[in-house]
Amino acid sequence: MNQTPRVLNRLLLGLLGVSLMSLGAAAVLLAVPAVGRWWRSAAVGLGQSINGLLDRTTLAGQRDSWLWIVAALLMLLIVALMVAWVAAQGRGRSGTLAQEDKLGESSDEVAGQVTINGSVAEQALKAALQERGDLVNAAVTTYQFAGEPALKIKVFPRSGISPHEVATEVTDLVEALDLLVGRQTPVLISISAGARTRFTRAERVR
Amino acid sequence: MSEQIGQLTRKVVRRELHSSRAVPSVVAAVLISFFCLYVMLEAALKATGQEAWLVSPEQAGAWLGDLPGNLQVAPLAVGGLLVFLIGVALFLSAVLPGRRARHTIPNSRTAIVVDAEVLASALARRARVAAGVTPDQVTVTVGRRAVDVQVRPTSGVPVDVEGIRSVVEDELALTSVEPVPTVRVAVAPSGVIGQ
Repeated sequence: MNQTPRVLNRLLLGLLGVSLMSLGAAAVLLAVPAVGRWWRSAAVGLGQSINGLLDRTTLAGQRDSWLWIVAALLMLLIVALMVAWVAAQGRGRSGTLAQEDKLGESSDEVAGQVTINGSVAEQALKAALQERGDLVNAAVTTYQFAGEPALKIKVFPRSGISPHEVATEVTDLVEALDLLVGRQTPVLISISAGARTRFTRAERVR
Repeated sequence: MSEQIGQLTRKVVRRELHSSRAVPSVVAAVLISFFCLYVMLEAALKATGQEAWLVSPEQAGAWLGDLPGNLQVAPLAVGGLLVFLIGVALFLSAVLPGRRARHTIPNSRTAIVVDAEVLASALARRARVAAGVTPDQVTVTVGRRAVDVQVRPTSGVPVDVEGIRSVVEDELALTSVEPVPTVRVAVAPSGVIGQ
């Protein structure tokens, strides 16, 4: 329901996995004597070309190459991108259940905007769900999903309660909310097990 | 309007049934950040002409250059293998579908997902009532394709395997989870005394 960038996650994890795999494979291959000899001779040439590059990029009167500053800035950029990647996880909560804009183009229309706050659905559904004895807890949150407002209803039934009964009754509540609000939003009902459902008694006399 | 909601609902269900890989992503991002911060520090020290903090870039390069020589073969191979295995784990987390232990109940209005644990406890309750045993004597495991019901009968009281199976199948049909799992009922050969 949230806007976690799933494709990006998998792409970056795959990229990192492949690079670590090749690094590890290279280290294992170096243990083979022939490859080790080849690497030591190749490394001499590589070191010389790196030294040449550093010498050529050293400005007159300076001790070291300006490439080090570029490298430091590049690392800073990567760190900033990593922070952005972490911040993108689990985003998407919003406070709007429905929104309607009128531009007032025709003569009998008045321009304006109507917004229904997400707490309308949250309060109404939570009040209805908390009356029920077969639920340990319930949580209602509004999300922005694919540009549309959406509702997530998470219910924690007592252990042993039939999920289809809970599903039917919560769907009835959602349909009542549709009538109340006057428009439909995508709804997710998540019937979950939490720590509290495990440690509360299985059933109560009803 | 309604067609659009149906589309979004299907998308939501697909997302809820699969892992978002947020946890490995955050771990990877933190590790990469620490590594890059360290490299940035050493590069900045080098650029400003200061002493290196731990290892100067030249030392690191020289160490990499004569690598098989300055390290025993065994630690090199084991370290390489370890890095390779971490890479395999990350790669698999990127490629595998990562299904979560959840089922979906088809519904025309809403997207409904049920944790396997909730379904298992509902099935266990029905099975327990049908078998006439206490809650401790029934264990239900819900997989994606199969439901395993294990019953330890009370000693001397036979249990009706077909009855339990039909009750569990009935509950599954009422729940109408997708895909429909097959039911396997196993009765333990030894009973429990004193229930």
